[in-house]
Amino acid sequence: MKFTKSILVAATAAMLSTGALAQDIAVIAGSVEDAFMDKIKKGVDDATHMVVANGGSVQYLRTQNYENFGPDLVTLINQAVAQGVDGIAIPVWVPDAQIPALQAAAGEGIKIMQYNSGLPVKDDIGALNYFGSDEYAAGFGGGKYLAEKGAKHILCHIQVPGAINLEERCRGVTDGATAAGAKVTVLNTPPNLDGDVTGTAEALKAEFIGDDSIDAMVSCADFGAAAGANAVEQTGANVMVSAFDFSPATLDRIKAGTQTMAIDQQPYLQGFLATSMLFAHLKFGTEISTDPVLTGPAIVDASNVDAVVAGAALGAR
Amino acid sequence: MTSPSKSRAKGSALGALARRPETGSLLGFAVVFAFFAMLGGPVFMGAPGWSSWLNIAAEVGIIALPVGLLMISGEFDISVGSIVPASSMMTAMLSGHYELPALVGIAGGLSVGLIVGYVNGVLVSRTSIPSLIVTIGVMFSVMGLTLGFAVLLKGSTSVSYVPDALTKSLLGQFINGMFNVSILWWLGFVAVFFFALHLSPFGNWIFALGGDRQSARNAGIPTSRVTIGLFMASGFCAAFVGVAQVMTYQQANVAGGQAFIFNSIMCVVIGGVLLTGGAGSIIGIVLGTMTFAVVNQGIFFAAMDPNVGSIIIGALLLAAVISNDGFRSLTLRAAAK
Amino acid sequence: MISVLLRRPAAASILSLFGVLAFYVLVGGVELDKLFNAASWLNYAARIGIVALPVGLLMISGEIDISIGAMIPAGAMTIAIISGYYGMPMVFGIAGALCVGVAVGLINGILAVRTNVPSLIITLATLVGMQGVVLASSKLLTGSASVPLTAPVWAKTLLGNLMFGGSHQVLIIWWVVFAIIFWFVLHQSRYGNWIYAMGGDKPSARNAGIPVNRMTILLFVLTSTSAAFVGICHAILFNSAQVSGGMNDIFNIIVSVVVGGVLLTGGFGSIAGVFVGTLTFAIVNKGIDFTTIDRNWSNLIIGVMLLLAVAMNESFRKVALGAIKRKPKPNAPKQA
Repeated sequence: MKFTKSILVAATAAMLSTGALAQDIAVIAGSVEDAFMDKIKKGVDDATHMVVANGGSVQYLRTQNYENFGPDLVTLINQAVAQGVDGIAIPVWVPDAQIPALQAAAGEGIKIMQYNSGLPVKDDIGALNYFGSDEYAAGFGGGKYLAEKGAKHILCHIQVPGAINLEERCRGVTDGATAAGAKVTVLNTPPNLDGDVTGTAEALKAEFIGDDSIDAMVSCADFGAAAGANAVEQTGANVMVSAFDFSPATLDRIKAGTQTMAIDQQPYLQGFLATSMLFAHLKFGTEISTDPVLTGPAIVDASNVDAVVAGAALGAR
Repeated sequence: MTSPSKSRAKGSALGALARRPETGSLLGFAVVFAFFAMLGGPVFMGAPGWSSWLNIAAEVGIIALPVGLLMISGEFDISVGSIVPASSMMTAMLSGHYELPALVGIAGGLSVGLIVGYVNGVLVSRTSIPSLIVTIGVMFSVMGLTLGFAVLLKGSTSVSYVPDALTKSLLGQFINGMFNVSILWWLGFVAVFFFALHLSPFGNWIFALGGDRQSARNAGIPTSRVTIGLFMASGFCAAFVGVAQVMTYQQANVAGGQAFIFNSIMCVVIGGVLLTGGAGSIIGIVLGTMTFAVVNQGIFFAAMDPNVGSIIIGALLLAAVISNDGFRSLTLRAAAK
Repeated sequence: MISVLLRRPAAASILSLFGVLAFYVLVGGVELDKLFNAASWLNYAARIGIVALPVGLLMISGEIDISIGAMIPAGAMTIAIISGYYGMPMVFGIAGALCVGVAVGLINGILAVRTNVPSLIITLATLVGMQGVVLASSKLLTGSASVPLTAPVWAKTLLGNLMFGGSHQVLIIWWVVFAIIFWFVLHQSRYGNWIYAMGGDKPSARNAGIPVNRMTILLFVLTSTSAAFVGICHAILFNSAQVSGGMNDIFNIIVSVVVGGVLLTGGFGSIAGVFVGTLTFAIVNKGIDFTTIDRNWSNLIIGVMLLLAVAMNESFRKVALGAIKRKPKPNAPKQA
């Protein structure tokens, strides 16, 4: 079904590309194994209907994994350029590697729309607009939320040491919590524990036991919340568990009360808006006067979890 | 080539002890444990510390056992890294997404492991392709199938499942709050594998296979059946860990099992099994797994830079291998006398 | 005529290449001119290929090196720390990164000849160790796991530039040059014969007067230095270096070499085969974006292709060895 649809799309694109009026855009995203990217894809897919209805085409390019991430992203940018697209929608995760490639693409007259990540370098790549969350603001909101819920000492967990956007999140958590009178400790777990729930749970357990003043934790990864909830279950420590982004299991935990909240950035909106607004700009010349457009932070907790579950069942939350 | 003698070397009790393959791994474990006990203090020596490394050891240990047996018989299994997520995905899909009974989900997950193991075994025993290459190919294929079907059927690479109380208590419960029930399963697996390798005729077949496949076949050992059985065992154990992870963390992801590939091999090697096959013991593998887990967890209790853990594991691996190598040549020399 | 062709080690890899292209054209609806004009798969092939060439030689000689997975990021981090963080001249950075490669290669090589531990385990130890060393020292020295680097024009031109209108990396030229050099070494010089002899049977190679130990160490130095070289080029091209696991590079490189017809147990293989094998792997992995096939299935295609290619290799080799009676493999010592 999807297969024939994509053939149709490709065929339409091939037919239209002979005319000068077709607007072809490429949307570049992260790993195919990353569930977060599936929600972005849902947004991109929904926007694609509108693009195709107006005679354009959308190509959705993803990396296989996050190793060698900078070069992989540049490869995808160059590939989109080689295929002669008119616009690229892309997050900036590895600025040093991506900026020159995006500047080169812009030099060939390709419009860039930025989403999800890299707000501080938006002007360097000359992006039309930005749809996403501000990592610092998201962290600030999360830190403030926990402190207002009574947390005095928050552990901020980074699963990929050196990732600038994650450090920015924890910086936000620190400032937000400090403003509300709480203290924050940052924990970097080694990269070989990335995605390893058992290993991370035991590492967090060691922290909870080592310092019993910790009464809340926020992980930059969704699996970190699964690990945190497990560490709490093991130690019986009175720690509020929370994380950036969420998976279906997160919603189960929030419902069950084993996780306090998740800091959402609404990836569906990012994919949907970046794709449709880029196309609308190319085709209709529209501009959005709000710049940047922030899709987060949106806190998911017990008060609104049921509405989110409904959206998650449809693949959009 | 030296003609190895089948009879065990006779010597003093101490000499015999030094020649046992486990001795090196026991020493390694004692040194590492003492080191982290000193740095980690009473917390590491208490229930939190013990449970911490035992939980890690149980998970990788269940996979290291059959991987070790395979290595004794002269084969590798890289595909375990893709079986763990594949089986947990299968279980979560069946029981979580399609809401079938937990038993169906568990059976589905475990059968993924058995089937993949069977494919590995048949390919290795029917062709002359080295098992390293076969299982790399199978690993890529299983990874692709898991991802492809998850997205096709569920539209997402992450599935959640909340198990019922009985299932959770059997596969994902924490005893005394801290000790994962999988530690007991690990002990169970250890007992089964110990029996298989050291007490049943099957064990002699495995050793013979690792020593010399051709003469093993000539001696009437059903080499293909043994190989297929071993690969199915490693597939099963990897799948078991995948299923237990779903029950513990109530979620499944398409990625995330790759660490098990090299971690399980490292446990086995630290435990004294040589890659060329033909030697090793279950006790050694268990000790190797424990050493590996103590280093990985002790780092956090000792408040050291976690990255130093990798350096220690690397050094330990070399030390273990070199010392075991020393023990091995000692044994061979004694046997040649 | 055909049977002569089939006997060449590269035969299966060439067939795999055509098979993959045919599959992508027929099932994936790929437009070949678009694919061939694109740089993405060629850039990727160069990255993998520069390391795959020496790894191929090493495997022909009967050894394996998986520490390459840690050496690509190690090379990149070393140059970024020396020339980026400390601001020393680029020459020092390049030299430093190459030295790290040589040092690790020496450790691997010396351990491989001094002990009878299989090289897979030795390099597994250096792989894990180097991952820790790189991360810990980067955090210790720079306080971060990601270091920016600005390269002067000459370094960019030589090692990190894009050519032909801005998407082909200069790395491709290096790859071709290395391939020619390695082809000459393996197929035209006496070293090549030594390498084949070592892979066939080490003791008799040694008896024949071949400096087996020196050659083994040299080959290990070559693999880890090439990996560091790729890291250097990437750091210069992308103006930054990051620590990564490198786990996928290990498998991708081994798959490329094996698809290229090199026998894992040694003694059989060719540079042309490794070259084509790398191209094939790159087209499978990066060309999928040009098809209508969902990227989710790419790993499945890689797995199936690997198994088919190896099966072809095996049967072709049996044809090639046809009349020659197979020498029994030397037996590993039994447990005493």
